[in-house]
Amino acid sequence: MSLAINWIGLSTIIRREVSRLMRVPIQAFLAPWISALLFIFIFGYVVGGRISLIAGHRYMDFVLPGIVMLNVVNAAFLQASSQVYFARFMRYIEEALVSPLSYAEMILGVIAVVIIRSLATAIGILIIAALFGAARISGIGEFVFWILLVAVVFGLIGQIVGLWANNFEQLTILNIFFITPLSFVGGVFNTVSMLPAWLRWMAWGNPFFYFINGLRHSMIGFTEAPEGLGAAVTMTLACVLGVVVWRLYKVGYGLRE
Amino acid sequence: MEPALSISHLRKVYRGGTVAVEDLSLDIAPGEFFGFLGPNGAGKSTTIHCITGIATPTSGTIKVFGIDAVQNYREARRQIGLSPQEFNVDTFATPVQILDWSGGYFGMGQAERKARVEMLIEKFDLVPHARKQFRQLSGGLKRRVILARALIHDPKLLILDEPTAGVDVELRMDLWRYLRELNAEGKTILLTSHYLEEIERLCRVVAIVNHGRIVSYGTKDALVRESGGVERAYLQATGAAPEHVAAAGK
Repeated sequence: MSLAINWIGLSTIIRREVSRLMRVPIQAFLAPWISALLFIFIFGYVVGGRISLIAGHRYMDFVLPGIVMLNVVNAAFLQASSQVYFARFMRYIEEALVSPLSYAEMILGVIAVVIIRSLATAIGILIIAALFGAARISGIGEFVFWILLVAVVFGLIGQIVGLWANNFEQLTILNIFFITPLSFVGGVFNTVSMLPAWLRWMAWGNPFFYFINGLRHSMIGFTEAPEGLGAAVTMTLACVLGVVVWRLYKVGYGLRE
Repeated sequence: MEPALSISHLRKVYRGGTVAVEDLSLDIAPGEFFGFLGPNGAGKSTTIHCITGIATPTSGTIKVFGIDAVQNYREARRQIGLSPQEFNVDTFATPVQILDWSGGYFGMGQAERKARVEMLIEKFDLVPHARKQFRQLSGGLKRRVILARALIHDPKLLILDEPTAGVDVELRMDLWRYLRELNAEGKTILLTSHYLEEIERLCRVVAIVNHGRIVSYGTKDALVRESGGVERAYLQATGAAPEHVAAAGK
């Protein structure tokens, strides 16, 4: 069997999906930017202006990494799940199934578009934040690392949901019951030390805490977790999810009859 | 010479236990125009889905020009062009995009893709509709787009699953002429259809499938000779009521 990568096929998946994304720019880009603008204005500017320093930082600077991460997670998950689900729903996934694309190329194609959308979302929010005098980044490499890694994690989770879902409601279940609640209690608006003692263990067991904490460290240099722990947890998660997704494609779960 | 398509003891059982194809074997010679007949639910589309990768065979082997369609699926799929029964496209995309993306999936470079898309758009009289969304096209135009897509990578084996369903008489005749041309150029064609006249006019070899098994298989001429016509052969093979068989061909 040929192991050579079908680069043209891979780039076609990306081209095609970006073209689909450009049909819904308001939903794909404008909506998260407006939502971020409101968060930054209300929590950062209006409320934050009345809050004293938190962990030595302005509240606006403290919440911004969480706002960026919230939107990156949403962008990555929605992109991957809708890309896979719509292709199944409209049956044009069959165009890929009958072609010489490998499973890995199909998965990578989705991840590539997830990264494009996630980066565009993050950059847009940073530009908005800059208008409010925030958007500090102390380690650009670390910042990009966290955006990419979290985009990959939710790109993979989104693909699992996209393969599993059989209707539009199922597509939103994970977002409603897990992603949004866990990200809100993962330290977007507060430090772990601000939580009641009995609730702190929940933060340590919540992967969103590590995502937000990692991005916060790259932006304002503040961290509540041991260095490397968050990256290790997230990379392990990405690897496990990668294997699961590859296996699902290989057995044709949700794809082949 | 390797057969264009060789299926050996193919079995397909769906989740839930429905047996769609049972011990199906057939060989199609290169350059053949092969008719694959059977009632609804007989297993024709499932067989096609197993050949093309839309379904996973439960057991058995499928070889396309000697290449294993499961083990070496990438190479096998390069040889096949599929025009499916249902419109499996992004309905918001234009014919040009649909053909271009499909060519890209098959690894065709930009210049090659562009030339091929232009040629097919012209060949199928799609020029005035090339930039319209697929959903805005009529049934006949949609069918042409699907056929053009199947040909984008110039496959050696063309699989057409009811390509003229819902198409008006004139377009059907145009398609027949075009399919004959393709076959004369050397393309092997596997055609399924509920229009027995279509099979009779185009195919040289015919297999009739019922309940997942091949129940009749041979040249069309032999079938006509033995049964007194394709329609009668079809009805006999699929266990139709005697009065229907008797009425056939009258």
